[in-house]
Amino acid sequence: MIDERAANVGIGFRKEFAEEFLAGNVLSPAFVEVAPENWMGIGGYWKKILKRVAEKHEIYSHGLSLSLGGPDELDWEFLKNLKSFLKEYDIKIYSEHLSFAKCDNAHLYDLLPVPFRWDAVQHIAGRIKSVQDFLERKIAIEIVSYYTPVAAEMSEVDFINAVVKEADCNLLLDVNNIYVNGFNHNYDTKEFLQNLSLDPVAYIHMAGHEKVADDLIIDTHGEPIIQPVYDLFDYTVQILPEQVPVLLERDFNIPELTELQFEMNRLENICTKHWRNELVTA
Amino acid sequence: MLLREETYQQQSNFAHYCRTGEFLPIKGVDEKRIHYYPRLVFNVIDDTLRSAFPLTVDLFSEEEWETTTRRFFAKHRCSSYSVWKMPFEFYQYILSSESELLNKFPFLDELLLFEWTEIEIHMMEDKAFPEVSLTGDFENDVIAFNPEFKILQMKYPVHLKNPNKITETDEAAYFVLIFRQPETGNVQFIDVSSFFYWLILKILNEQKSFEELIQEAEQTFKVERSILLTNTIPFLMELQQNKFIIGFKK
Repeated sequence: MIDERAANVGIGFRKEFAEEFLAGNVLSPAFVEVAPENWMGIGGYWKKILKRVAEKHEIYSHGLSLSLGGPDELDWEFLKNLKSFLKEYDIKIYSEHLSFAKCDNAHLYDLLPVPFRWDAVQHIAGRIKSVQDFLERKIAIEIVSYYTPVAAEMSEVDFINAVVKEADCNLLLDVNNIYVNGFNHNYDTKEFLQNLSLDPVAYIHMAGHEKVADDLIIDTHGEPIIQPVYDLFDYTVQILPEQVPVLLERDFNIPELTELQFEMNRLENICTKHWRNELVTA
Repeated sequence: MLLREETYQQQSNFAHYCRTGEFLPIKGVDEKRIHYYPRLVFNVIDDTLRSAFPLTVDLFSEEEWETTTRRFFAKHRCSSYSVWKMPFEFYQYILSSESELLNKFPFLDELLLFEWTEIEIHMMEDKAFPEVSLTGDFENDVIAFNPEFKILQMKYPVHLKNPNKITETDEAAYFVLIFRQPETGNVQFIDVSSFFYWLILKILNEQKSFEELIQEAEQTFKVERSILLTNTIPFLMELQQNKFIIGFKK
């Protein structure tokens, strides 16, 4: 029997397709992911929409503004509101980014790369622990795409492994980000994955990107997933120690919902292919 | 903080570059690529502000928009963790720091506030609606308003006229009622006269009967009772149709 979780492929919820999504059944995700910053503390039309989504689907939450890698104090008011939001919608998975989005008391509304340094490891791990203690749950942190290193003193993979180990948190593996980073910084993505601690991986993201120069890809989430990223996903699924939920992200150039479902089906087929074999052989 | 001062400085310089475009030394960055960051970061700011203030975008020249939004992001430290709230900070920044623009467009503060209020009302948290009776009589029962609203008092008709055509000769007293329709969540605005502005505030703040309000209005506005009645009842009916009046207090 195939484990139900083998088919756990969700979609990043976008306001652009909210009506069509709720009105029909073209898109049938196993769960829906939202950015809490866009849905907390609101009412009216969008609150009604989120409630309708929550009636039909399990909700996951993926944060944008916590700035775990930032030097500023954690925003406890935000965390308090976040905790209520997670409770209100019975959200079991909350993830954030291994990056910074706020510095010197100014939000930047984007994900900036953190210095790969030992003091940053300790600083970030301490913040993740504080957040986990406050939210009374483990969180998953996402390896972000980046276009230039910043004041690095250690390798990316050593940095990530150290943060996850020190913080005792989960890892969100964005396979597209690994592909983008491998391309941009000229490293072997499979070797990177082999060197990454995979036990903490609790969640996978998949998305498209845009090549803007011969040697540079920008992680836009505005294009379909390309074949080499599917291939890397296929490889990742095979080496992961456990089955985990997978999310399709599409933030810009939103296509017909049938196209998104097609991409989700491809992801689901890859998961099922490997995880079914694993169960049969076990 | 476990972060070394020097590591903090690298991050601070990087964030400063993203906000201002002014490059301060950052160790180990790829100089051919780092310029993508301020562009990507500013795209979010620009997109959010353009979508929040379409009338203001239309009023400004492209250069005015570009330089003002860049100055805002460079000088102002955005404190909202939700990007959709950031446009309110832009409005506050213009009021406090852009006197030249405010002099050039004397109605700019009101235009920005009007555009922001539409977002604020659309997104605001749900408020508790009072228990009401759907049937009643304007003249004998106490009217209950939809609690999800704001009334702006303005000197320029930014809600009525293309901002490019507003001149100083338009200066007068304007009132606009902005509210959220309970079923659809759509935001609606209605231009109201100074009398109806007065009446709405009176109904909101004082538990007076319609008869008492009309008597007070006669004194305050020096208008005949028959004229007040002729105009008021149709206006209240319009508000009821538009779901600003949700019923009558029980």
